[in-house]
Amino acid sequence: MTRSFEFKQSGHLNPALFDPATRSLHSDKLAGRWVNANRETQGIAELVIERDGGQFNVSVVVVGADGPISWPTCKARALANLEEEAGQRTMALAAVFDYRFMRAEAYLRVNKGVLVTVLFTTFQDNSGRANYVNREFFYREDRK
Amino acid sequence: MTTVIDTSALVGVWVNSNSASNGIARMVMSESGGSLTLQVCAIGPDSLIDWGREDVSVFTSAPSSRVGAGFTCRYDFGFVETRLLGMILKGLLVLAELHSFKDDSERADYFVREYFALDHATYQVGVLQACEL
Repeated sequence: MTRSFEFKQSGHLNPALFDPATRSLHSDKLAGRWVNANRETQGIAELVIERDGGQFNVSVVVVGADGPISWPTCKARALANLEEEAGQRTMALAAVFDYRFMRAEAYLRVNKGVLVTVLFTTFQDNSGRANYVNREFFYREDRK
Repeated sequence: MTTVIDTSALVGVWVNSNSASNGIARMVMSESGGSLTLQVCAIGPDSLIDWGREDVSVFTSAPSSRVGAGFTCRYDFGFVETRLLGMILKGLLVLAELHSFKDDSERADYFVREYFALDHATYQVGVLQACEL
């Protein structure tokens, strides 16, 4: 149901939201190649975040039964993250990976140099698998 | 094929652990007929704001699990759309709030992460309504 009324929620009134600089807060901290800190993950092995002007693109490699599987690159939406721990002000990304058999909604953020991804996966193939949520941690691998 | 999920860990009144939050004060997750709905009370300058009730999608912790461990929900207020993504970690509900403005205010879309504890009512005398202070 859509409601068209407006209300003055305190969070929406943060003056920083009106500052154009907010749209690019430390966005460079997101870009790069990130490797899963858990070498035994059954989820995302690594991902690459690239910035192209105001657009972020996310490329993901997941762990498959027979080896790594590359997902098609996905465009991600940037959101201001103004209330991270220790007063950090940075960006978070929201992405939706939508494939025929599954749909994964994710948010990604960097906290103290660690990329945290939370993925909500919905299966669309009547396989009987439960839709599930998974959180993983990644470290940035410096480019050579 | 319908997968039956145990949603009992998600049901209840969730209270923000941060008393100084300017986001969501508390949420009530209710179950009826096997489905969950969420009612959110957010913090306004003068009082709590009732977002109303919306359906939620439930997620487990693994494809083979049948125990609810997270949820997603969408509120569309016309001028802003808010996506809620929650997961339970060590008994706390970690909630990501993704706010996307659709008006002409030129506010940046923003992300908030907050922590909620289940109000188990062990130490309370009566039942509290969701938005009563």
